[in-house]
Parts: sequence; structure tokens; C-alpha cells
Amino acid sequence: MTGVAGAVIDLAAVAVLVVGIAGLWRRDLRALVGLLRIQGVALALVAAATAATQHDVGLGVTAVLVVAVKAGVVPTLLGRVARSDPGARESAPLINVPSSLVLAAALVGLAVIVGAPLHALEPGRAAALAPLGLATVLAGYLLLVTRRRALSQVVGLLVIDNGVALMTFLLTAGVPLIVELGGSLDVLLVVVVLRALLGTMRSRLGNVALDELRELHD
Amino acid sequence: MTRDLVSLVQVVAVALGGLLLTGLMAKVRARAEGRVGPPISQPLREVAKRLHRESPRATAGRAQGMVPTILVVTTAVAAGLVPLAGLQTAGRSGADALVVVFLLLTGSLSLAAGGLATATAFGGMGASRAMALSALAEPALLVALAALAVPAGSLSLPVLLAHGLSAPIAMVSPSHVLAVLALLIVVIAETGRLPVDNPSTHLELTMIHEAMTLEYGGRDLALVTLGAAMRLGLLLALVGTLAVPWGLATSSSPLALAGGFVMVGVKSTVLAVVIALVEVHSAKLRLFRVPELLAAAFVVASLAVLVGVVAR
Amino acid sequence: MALTVLLAPLVVALLLLVVRPGRRAEVLSVVSSLVVLGGGIALAIATVHGRVVHELGGVIRVDALSAVMVIVIGTVASLATSAMGRTLPVASDAATRRRAREYGVLVQVFVAAMLGAVLVANLGVVWVMVEATTIATTFLVGHERSRRAIEASWKYAVLCSVGIALAFLGLVLLYFASAHAGAGPRAATLDWTGLRALAPHLDPKVTRLAVGLIVLGFGTKVGLAPLQSWLPDAHSQAPAPVSALMSGVLLTVALYAILRVRTIADAALGVGFLRTLLVVLGLASLVVAAVMVIVQRDLKRLLAYSSIEHMGLVALATAAGTPLAIAAALLHVMGHGLVKSVLFLGAGEVHHAESTTTIANIRSLLRRRAALGGVLAAGLVALAGLPPFSLFASEIAMFRAEVGAGLGWAAGLALALLVVVSAGLLRAGRQMLLGPGEPAADPAPHRAIAPLVGALVVCAALGLVAWPLATLLHAAAGVLS
Repeated sequence: MTGVAGAVIDLAAVAVLVVGIAGLWRRDLRALVGLLRIQGVALALVAAATAATQHDVGLGVTAVLVVAVKAGVVPTLLGRVARSDPGARESAPLINVPSSLVLAAALVGLAVIVGAPLHALEPGRAAALAPLGLATVLAGYLLLVTRRRALSQVVGLLVIDNGVALMTFLLTAGVPLIVELGGSLDVLLVVVVLRALLGTMRSRLGNVALDELRELHD
Repeated sequence: MTRDLVSLVQVVAVALGGLLLTGLMAKVRARAEGRVGPPISQPLREVAKRLHRESPRATAGRAQGMVPTILVVTTAVAAGLVPLAGLQTAGRSGADALVVVFLLLTGSLSLAAGGLATATAFGGMGASRAMALSALAEPALLVALAALAVPAGSLSLPVLLAHGLSAPIAMVSPSHVLAVLALLIVVIAETGRLPVDNPSTHLELTMIHEAMTLEYGGRDLALVTLGAAMRLGLLLALVGTLAVPWGLATSSSPLALAGGFVMVGVKSTVLAVVIALVEVHSAKLRLFRVPELLAAAFVVASLAVLVGVVAR
Repeated sequence: MALTVLLAPLVVALLLLVVRPGRRAEVLSVVSSLVVLGGGIALAIATVHGRVVHELGGVIRVDALSAVMVIVIGTVASLATSAMGRTLPVASDAATRRRAREYGVLVQVFVAAMLGAVLVANLGVVWVMVEATTIATTFLVGHERSRRAIEASWKYAVLCSVGIALAFLGLVLLYFASAHAGAGPRAATLDWTGLRALAPHLDPKVTRLAVGLIVLGFGTKVGLAPLQSWLPDAHSQAPAPVSALMSGVLLTVALYAILRVRTIADAALGVGFLRTLLVVLGLASLVVAAVMVIVQRDLKRLLAYSSIEHMGLVALATAAGTPLAIAAALLHVMGHGLVKSVLFLGAGEVHHAESTTTIANIRSLLRRRAALGGVLAAGLVALAGLPPFSLFASEIAMFRAEVGAGLGWAAGLALALLVVVSAGLLRAGRQMLLGPGEPAADPAPHRAIAPLVGALVVCAALGLVAWPLATLLHAAAGVLS
């Protein structure tokens, strides 16, 4: 795992996390979707480089799948929604941006602590990077809970998903192909469903922020 | 003996280079915007001209008078300490990165104090803004330096750079890339460039650095301008060297040292041109978004440390 | 056999794409559910003595526990599909027809996904199927297209997807741990039996992290507090048959995944870790349910909170983990599936007749609509855990098992909370059912009431004579120990 492939895995894994955290910084919805695309590419690079080092055909297929779904179809679908609402911005996150960025840094620290047993079990370099995936999951979670726009929430969900995928590639060189295929299909369908729901929301309710949707309560 | 000489030359080079880089950045911006722009030597000539003039000090007392000297002296000491051309400088005990940071901080603190001492509205406003930014930028700077120190296990700049020279593969390690990115953001904020501050405006709503220097004139203004330029030159050279230490002279032969000086000049020139071009293409951030940028720098720096520790 | 069960709803879903919505389509849906139920019984007979059925090259693996789950799915699906026609507007124009078709197809896909989750051997595929149920039901929850329905389906889709993503992370960690269990990386597996065999060699620290994430993730889908906030919204906004399916069986399918993981966790970590986790989640759910049932003003939301309560009870029994506790929990799952479907379908009839589900606006049902009122009364009594219904028997058995497993304090606490919930349920029942009134001119047709009465009779019968289920339930519990 040394040499070029190792360096590519290192950099791409870090890129996945940095892009995830950058999502907390940007307010422009179109920029968020763009970040998602970059994250998809970085993720595919991790998968491809891992496949190359381990001569794993299944993982190579997965890498192609990741590019197609996470860097291709999904951002394109979401981008269309974002474009139909020009100038759409995250109005006021529940936590202001500097605080959420500092919080994200703290979450990365937490991920490193929580992820320590993983490295203890496998001393390899890739497993050492696994806390980055955990941190990406946490960053996505932060994005999801602090944002009010529906589209930002979808992006948060997908960042979580990318973080989990990063962990699969780093720890186990992917899960069995059947699970991988099913998982990708699920992600794709969730996005399709949520997008359709966004469309219904817009046509029925106009452009509302999610926190205006609070008719259901006790 | 050579060490002291090298340090002396470094100070002079940083002073001259800083002024020339300021002029160069103005020129690059002007050209990119389709203007001819002032000659590159303009800041140098202005400083030289003003050094012969008297300093009007109407309102403030001694405090304001000391500020320009403190600014220039602290920056000069820092410039003499850090290894820019060769690994060996006058800092015999090893030119600790923290010392350099604190020297620079002393300079900006005195500038802010001077802004307050004038008791004018703009001076106080500029000082408060500068300190607010500094409070965010300094932690980011320290953490970024800590990230760079992780592989070598030392905060001493020569040790750290020597380690970098011996392991070129570390240049593309994620930790290193992130740390350099954080350093760049901090340098942009510290030197008062776009998108944080706009060095070419005196608009009260936006100015930071300029607001603190409005009340200076004559020789004092020349020194403040020189201090700011030296700061720019020093930070650019330092970041360039930390990012890519190649070209640093390891021996004390005059030829190697001369090569070192040329290399550091090239690195900082490249950085200056890049920053100037970025400035042309970016709008100034509204003041309340600046903390976001610096918080981002802080996060990136912390990431650099964590990644560095994790992947060691 | 298992493949037939799995394919029946999928084939019907395809047929429904071409068949015109209406009477014939409804019959097709019911037939598919009955095939599932029949298949479930056949599978139960095949597996009751410990045999394991493998199909499709080992992808499908059926033991007694799976068979029990298939029977529950089949029963609830039969009830729900028999009532589907009542909740749809008459397909007059192209738009309503398209939505009616979408509705019919998605219900079948939903049922198929649940079946997939309980029939496959690989925990990763279980995960894929559980996520598929979320996808299929999102549109079903939002079927009404009202502001509230859209809000509910958005929350549902986002929260459950997040939860389930955590579960996937947990599975990945489990897979990672299995690759380092001493049998070499080639032995890495997500197969339930494989993991079970490797369990004693799994790294405890990683496994603890993994199991925690899996339980939290699937727990979101089960509706265990503190991750239950989507549940009352989704269950109250969905059309009645969908609420019945979700409340009656979808929650349990997610719980099934936790049951499977429990055996692995116990073998790798000892019983303490998961027990603590489940006791905390279960008691928290009971507290939330008790508080919310008391203040509840809407019938469907009341029923939703009651589901949280029952899932909390089952979680406590799972925490106890003895064969008796598991068998009782499975009986409870069956009884709850029956009763909750009956009540949700009854609430649908109430909504149909009275155009409201606000408890304060419904009065004297027993006088005005005797049949429907009677069904609701019996259902609420059953839900409150009173005899002669099976929920009484299973609750007693669960508490006994918990005391036996050293969780007496938790059982006592649960019992106290249970009394509060039951009081809330019966108070709401009194409000809606009693009072003077004249018989209404448009009583619900026998066709709508008969299945509900049938289900209640079955539930009561299960409470009185456990045969023929006892053997099957013990076989299912035996699979897990």
C-alpha cells in the first residue's frame, strides 16, 4: 500500500472529509450540490486506488458504480432542483457557521477517539484513516440537523452515506458486491423519492423552509 | 559569523522584498483589471521619500510614536531568526516557530494599541476589528504550525525544515497539504489582503488595517508601511519555505546560500502573484463572514493535526 | 416455497401495473397476501422441528423465526389489503386512477421488501430490504398529498434513512471485525450463521461499536425512543391500511434484525452490553408513550404512541433474552400485529364515516355505529392488555421472563407505565364509544367489519389456547439461543 496508490488514498480520503465539512460553510444550495459531486469523485478515487493495490475486481466495479451514482446521477438530479430555484440559499442555519465549523473540528476529534479500536485491530495505513469516514458521518449529521432547507437536508443525508462508504473502502475494501449493489440502488431510489417529494412540496406548498412545516405536533 | 551575516542579509532582503512584493501585487492586480498600474518600485520610493520627513503627532503622545519602531523591530528580529535562505541563522537555539509567531503578534498588538492611542473613531474601530480577526487567526496559525511539526516531532523551524528536506514524499501527505492551506488563509488575513481586508480602499465600512494607520504621517507612516510590507514578505517567504522546503541551503557555502536566496525569492514571488490573482477574482467578504473564513482555517488546521497524528 | 412467498407480491405488483384499479385489482392484492400467509404456514410446518430451508443458492435462509415473521406479515397484509378499497376514492378520472394504481403497486412492493428482510441470510441484504421498505412507504405515507401528509412523509424518509445509514455503518464494522476474527480475511462475512460461528472471536471493542450503531439504526425504524419522532406523524398521516401495515408489522421487521444481531452480540460481548442498551431504549419508549398517550387528542396518533409502547415492551423482553422471553415477545408481536391492524382499519372506518379522527369530536359510537363501535371497544381492551386477548398472556409471560432474567426492577417499572398507557387508552375509548345516540343511516358494510371481527376472534383464541403456535414459537426462540 505504499507509493502512488497509497498517497492517492490518503489525499482522497481527506478530501472526502474536507468537502463534507465545507458543506457546513457554504450556504448556496447549488454550491452544496457541487460539493457533493466532488465528494463522489474523491470517494471513487479511494475505491479505485484500493482496488488497484489489492487487485480486487469487485471493488473496481464498485468504483465505477460510485462515480456513476454519487458523482453523476445523484448530483445531477439534485442540481436540477437547485437550479429551478435560483439564488436559493440556506437562510439561517440553526447554529451559526463559525460555531458549526468549530463544532465539526471537535467532532473530528471525537471520531479519532471512537475510531481508535479500529486501528488497533488492523495496524494498516488504510484502517488508520477510517476515523475520517466516521468524522464525515458526523459532519453530515451536523449538516442535517442544523439546516432548514429541504435540499440541504438531502445533502446532509448523502454526506452521511458517503462517510459510511468511505469507511467500507478503507476498512474492508468494500462489502460483498450484492450488498454494495443493493445499497447503491437504495441510495439512488431514496434520492429519487426525496426529489419527487420536493417537487410535490413545491407545487403544493410553494418554496417553504422546512421549519415552517410544523403542523404535526402534540 | 556566517550565521549572523545570513540573518542580516535576510532582514534586508525581507524589507526590500516585502516592499517590492507589495508593489508587484498592486501591479498584477492592475494588469489583470486592464490598467497599467503604478511601477513595482512605487512603495519603495514612497517609503524612501517619507523617511526624510518629519512626523506630525498632533493628538497622541509617546505611545503612538513608539508603535512604528516596535513594528519594524519585531518584524526584523523575526526575519533574522527564521531559516529562509539556509538552515542556519542567528537563532542558535533553533528558531522556535512559537517565538516567531509571538514576535509577529507583538507587532500587530502594538499597531492596534497605536490605533487606540490616537483616540479617533477610525483608529479604535480598526484596532478592534484587527484584534477580533487576530484572535481567530492566531489559534489557526499555531495549530497549523503544530500540524507541520508532527512529522519532525519538533517546533524548531530548522529541525522541522530539515526533516521536510529529508522526506520529500511528506510534501503530498494530507496533513501537510491541509496545514499549508490553513497557513495560506491565515496569511491572507494577517497581511490584510482580499477577501478579508481590502488594502486599496479607505471606506469606513470595510477597512481594517488602513483604519489604524490613518493618523500616521511622514517618517512614522514610512515605518508603518515598511513594517507591514516586511510582514507580508516574511509571511510569504515563510509559508513558501514551509510548503516546499526544496532549495534551502543546508551548508554555509556562499554559493548555496545565494541559491537559497534566489529560491525563496522565487517562491514568495509565485505566492504573491497567485494571491494577487485570487484577489482580482474574489469579492471582499462582508465583515461578519470573515470569522467564518478564519474558523474554516482553524478547522482545516485541526484536521491537519488530527490526520497527521492518525496517519503517523 | 420461500421463493414463491417472496415472488407473489412482486408478481401481483407487476399485474397491478396493467390491471385497471377497482374491484379486480383489490382481489388480486388480497390473493397475494393470502398466498404469503399460506406460504408462511407451510414454511412454519417445514421448519418447526429445527430444519432450515435454503433456496436460491443460499441467499434465502428460512428457519422457524423467519416463518413466524412471514405469518405475521401475511396476516396483517391480508387484513390491510382487504380494506384497501374502502380508503380509495372512486377512480373517476385519469389522475385518481394513476394514484390508485401507484398505491396498489407500492403496497405490494412494501410487503415484498418486508418479506425479503425476514427471508434472506445476509444481514447486509436484510439492511437493503429494510431501507427498501422506507422507500416504498414514503409515497404511501404522503398519499393524501396534503400539507400534513407531505410533512410526515418527508420527516419519515429523512429520519429513517439517517437511522438506517447508522445501522449500515454498524454492519460494516461487524464485517470488518469478522475479517479479523482469526479465520483470515477470506472468512469475512455478513451472513448471519457465519457471524454467529465467528462471534466468540470478534474483537470486543469494534463489535461493541458495531452493535451499538446497529441497534440505534434499526431502533429508529422500530420507533424506540429517543428516535421515535417520525413515527406518530407517519402512522397518523398514512391511509389506514398502510398505517396498519407499518404499525402492525414493519416495526417488528426492524426488530427482527435486532433479534438476529443480539445472538451475535451476546456471544461476542456477553449479555450485559446489549441488555443495558435495550433496557434503556425500551424504558425510554414506555415513558414517552405513557406521557403522550395521556395528552393525546387524535385517535390515530394515540394508536401510534401505543405502538411505541408495545415496541418498548418487546425490546425489554429482548433484553431479557431467555427462550421464554423471546417466545413471549414473538407471541406479543403476533397479537400486536392483529390488534393494531384492526384498530387502524377501524380508525379508517371512523374517519370514513365521521370525517374526523379527533377523539373529542367522536361520540357514542356504540349506539350510533354498533358494529364499528364494538370492534373498536374490543380492540382497545385488547391493546390495554386485558384478557381474554393474547396480549394479556404475552405480557404476563414477558414480565415473568424478565423477572427470571434478573430484570425485575425494569419489569416493575414497565408494568407501572403500562397501567398509565392502558388508562389513557380506555379513557379515550370511553370518550368515543359511550353516550346516547341514534343508529346512523349508513353503517359500515359487513364486508369491511367481518375481517376485523375475525382478527379479534383469532387474537382472543391465541390468548386462550396457545396451540398450535406454542411449538413454533419455542422453535423460533430456540433458533436464537
